[in-house]
Amino acid sequence: MTSFLVQTIWMVPVYAILGATLSTLWLPAITRRTGPRPAGYINLLMTLAAFIQSLLAFPLVWNQPPIEFTFTWLQVANLTLTLPIEISAISVGAIAIVTGLNLLAQLYAIGYMEMDWGWGRFYCLLAFFEAGMCSLVLCDSLLFSYIILELLTLGTYLLVGFWFNQSLVVTGARDAFLTKRVGDLFMLMGVVALWPLVGTWDFSQLKLWAVSEATQEYAAAHPTMFALLGLALIAGPMGKCAQFPLHLWLDEAMEGPIPSTILRNSVVVATGAWILIKLEPVLALSPFTLSATVFIGLLSAVGGSLIAIGQIDIKRALSYLTTAYLGLVFVAVGTLQNDAAFHLLLTHALAVALLIMSAGAVIWNSVSQDLTQLGGLWSRRPISGSAFVVGTLGLIAFPPLGGFWALLELADGLWSTKPWLVGILLVVNALTAFGLARVFGLIFGGKPKQMSERSPEVHWPMILPMTFLLGLTIHMPFVLQRLGLLPNWQVLNKEVALLLIWSSITGLGLGSVVYLNNLWKKPVQLPFKPLQDLVSYDFYTPKIYRFSIVFVVDAVSKVIAWFDRYIVDGLVNLVGLATVFGGQGLKYNVSGQTQFYALSILLGIALFVGLLTFGSIDFGF
Amino acid sequence: MLSTLIWLPVLGAAIVGFLPGNLTASRLRSIALAIAGVILLVTIWLLTQFDINSSGLQFQEYLSWIPQLGLTYKLGVDGLSFPLLVLSSLLTAIVIYSRNEEIQRPRLYYALILLVHAGIVGAFVAQNLLLFVLFYELELIPLYLLIAIWGGEKRGYAAIKFLIYTAVSGILILAGFLGITWLSNSESFDFDAIATQGLPITTQLILLVILLVGFGIKTPIVPLHTWLPDAYVEASPPVAILLGGVLAKLGTYGLVRFGLQLFPETWPIVAPGLATLGAISVLYGALSAIAQKDIKRMVAYSSIGHMGYVLVGAAALTPIALIGVVAQMVSHGLILALLFYLVGVIEAKTGTRELDVLNGLLNPLRGLPSTGAMLILAGMASAGIPGMMGFVAEFLVFQGSFAIFPVQTLFCILGSGLTAVYFVILLNRTCFGKLDNKLAYYPKVLRSEQIPALIMAALILFLGVQPIWMLRWSERTTTAMVAAVPTDTPQQVAFRMLRE
Repeated sequence: MTSFLVQTIWMVPVYAILGATLSTLWLPAITRRTGPRPAGYINLLMTLAAFIQSLLAFPLVWNQPPIEFTFTWLQVANLTLTLPIEISAISVGAIAIVTGLNLLAQLYAIGYMEMDWGWGRFYCLLAFFEAGMCSLVLCDSLLFSYIILELLTLGTYLLVGFWFNQSLVVTGARDAFLTKRVGDLFMLMGVVALWPLVGTWDFSQLKLWAVSEATQEYAAAHPTMFALLGLALIAGPMGKCAQFPLHLWLDEAMEGPIPSTILRNSVVVATGAWILIKLEPVLALSPFTLSATVFIGLLSAVGGSLIAIGQIDIKRALSYLTTAYLGLVFVAVGTLQNDAAFHLLLTHALAVALLIMSAGAVIWNSVSQDLTQLGGLWSRRPISGSAFVVGTLGLIAFPPLGGFWALLELADGLWSTKPWLVGILLVVNALTAFGLARVFGLIFGGKPKQMSERSPEVHWPMILPMTFLLGLTIHMPFVLQRLGLLPNWQVLNKEVALLLIWSSITGLGLGSVVYLNNLWKKPVQLPFKPLQDLVSYDFYTPKIYRFSIVFVVDAVSKVIAWFDRYIVDGLVNLVGLATVFGGQGLKYNVSGQTQFYALSILLGIALFVGLLTFGSIDFGF
Repeated sequence: MLSTLIWLPVLGAAIVGFLPGNLTASRLRSIALAIAGVILLVTIWLLTQFDINSSGLQFQEYLSWIPQLGLTYKLGVDGLSFPLLVLSSLLTAIVIYSRNEEIQRPRLYYALILLVHAGIVGAFVAQNLLLFVLFYELELIPLYLLIAIWGGEKRGYAAIKFLIYTAVSGILILAGFLGITWLSNSESFDFDAIATQGLPITTQLILLVILLVGFGIKTPIVPLHTWLPDAYVEASPPVAILLGGVLAKLGTYGLVRFGLQLFPETWPIVAPGLATLGAISVLYGALSAIAQKDIKRMVAYSSIGHMGYVLVGAAALTPIALIGVVAQMVSHGLILALLFYLVGVIEAKTGTRELDVLNGLLNPLRGLPSTGAMLILAGMASAGIPGMMGFVAEFLVFQGSFAIFPVQTLFCILGSGLTAVYFVILLNRTCFGKLDNKLAYYPKVLRSEQIPALIMAALILFLGVQPIWMLRWSERTTTAMVAAVPTDTPQQVAFRMLRE
């Protein structure tokens, strides 16, 4: 029985696929008869089954060596593509988190999507994501990870474009797809380029290859090649994790339904980080790549947390924090701290899911996600309010909740080698705390405004998953302790811990002073207008894109289309015309007059003879 | 057995053509469909008989026809032509099935389509150079008529352009073949009787370039492509499926069969240039497609881009790349056919192909939701999203070519990104967006109209998940082909030194 549960854990994605396939049956014709809901219930059951299996299997694989087996997918010419499956504690744990969060998001969607008719499509896509993420954590191959990333990119396009008759949704879906695709394709370049070097895509073998001495020497001899390879490989995770400069899509993806946002901002973005962590040994071959990873991470962390403060849309204010936190994960990987990276991903996933559930509840029946129009909801929505508070504390460094331990682990690792990074970490933490305090103050503090006058707590399908997750986030320290992830008190770096706590307190305190204070005029204007604009317009990234890459592609395609139409095709038509005119001109020869024919014969003979004699003269010499 | 595949459609064309004139178009369609069905069944039977472990010719037939001319009736298929043969039989059946409205002169229409099929099959199985040219030219006339009679607004212009281009291509190929046979003092035009190895390398090069231009027009390779957008757009959707799905493959098939296989010594010399041209075609096709406003024209330009991958793979000439080439031909044929089919449905139901007019087709109540959903699938398959057959083919080409032509391959991957750009433009404008309430009184898409698209979509998905079913037929042949090309013969080395 025990081994059966573990051995069949690879069936988890199959459950989800089954659910997704079944829900595609709810075409308009069936939906008209049964209503859209059965499609959702089927998927809920499938996810429940997957969650239960992974939960039962987790203790069985804990502290056990990983089980590995392979499927051969394709064997052709001299290329054998196998799909290696690795069942380890970490992959089963990740499956439990993914299916658990998906279960909660699907439950939440029952409430959130109450009036929607597109359940079949929506649940199908949620299940598709679940299947993709579960297979990603199970598969131990870079190629298949890439394949799954691409599929998830397509899934994002469809899920963000769920409410496709709004124009913002359509552009959001487009940008999400294209941005991620750019990252994916660079990654494909890396994947393709890696094969001639290594001859395998299995992560475990890649690791062996990367740590071998021969490879190290080879890499040292070819720094440019390995730097390019590494940069290509991190492009995929960059797109997925919404890192600068590929961060824009996550913000626009907020146009999609909230239940999908819960899933996306907590675990879907983490897929990129997952691959990044798995690729770390290869990236470590090039010091330049590692520095680039750290740099991108820092830029995203600082930029994301700053931009979040400048947003007036609740969802966007939260979504930039995801960019920021995954930036920290990039920093962790760039400084070779995989454990800290995993740890951050775990705590971030739960806390962010909780924050978005709370915000989603507010949005759902306040019919507004504009922070300037809300306020004073604390007394009416104590559950959503406490969820937001706990989510905030779980995300930032606030002992004893999860985020503190993750950030502490990261900071501790940086303390001795790169102390200046700890400084930036503290700033990011403080900014995040400030930003969340701001959002809390604007939604729950102050006096009720226009859109929050009549805004009671939401109904149970949304409250239930929220409270459950609230409980889980509070109990995170116990979970971490059971898993042995908490540091020992003796080796605890108390200076760093104190610094972290102080930075949280500073951020929260400042935020509360400004935003929970009725005397302070809102919206708060920075004294320096360009700085405020820079932050609230997302560092002008959309504009930069529009005037650089979009402009170039658009212009080049127009030029080429013009060239094709008027030069290439024009030349062809000109030749055609010349032939036609030539024929038209020659027809005047056919005049029917004997003299003309006689003349032409004479001329012909003269030409002929002339040529011949000229030829003979020529030959004579 | 292969003769059946050639002469059955000819016989069918004769039957359809001489049926009494008072039969309705739908009755004629059923008769033509029955014939196409028999052809498809024969092909499927061949599928079960095909020996995947053999790299040589199978189902050979021989008849010494006009030995004085060196023209023999010699047929055979191998792993290169067999998948294309199957694709062609399948698409012909779909083409005949898909025209269900009343059309003018139905007898001629169905007879011509069957004739085209006969010509294509003949060209794929012919193992004599003259016989190949005969079939290659033969298929041109019915296609010209199909475009010129049942085409769109500018059908006359497009048909003439197509005719002239393809005729030039045919003449060049014939000239090349005559040159090869006569210069190498071969007894006959039989494919296996000819060896170019004895010829001086410059002569070989000249002959090869003539053939490359000839087949390059058919493929088409940029800048020989301008007949394509006009022909594809002006042809009616079923004819466009024939043109893009099957006919264009004659060009790439010819490149591999008569370019690569007949010139094993000179092929590596032209390969770098060919790969560059391929990469240019990929980028050129994709960039031109981005600027189009007509969805059919967009799909037509996408075809130019996708044939570029074939060129790069064929130039790279590694076992993986070459099997990728065959896979890409098949997958492009199927995906393009699906795209043209869906565009045809959309045009028939909404009356327009303009990107700026179409909107919100995914609307479940008043749009064309299933057509829209399949359009998303087809577009994504064409853009190379994994899980569908287009990805497998492109991936094999990329992986196989990277070691030989890294820069060109990287540009191809970039082109694959640009493919995603125009398909997203297409899908965003047609499937997404708000349906215009004033215009949206579209007729329903009937179940019978969805069936061909469903079949193609299912195949695209199945072969994407289980690509071995697409690759197993050609694996041995392509591997043997690569092995037959010598690397670094004295002549190649001399030529390279000469150029440096």
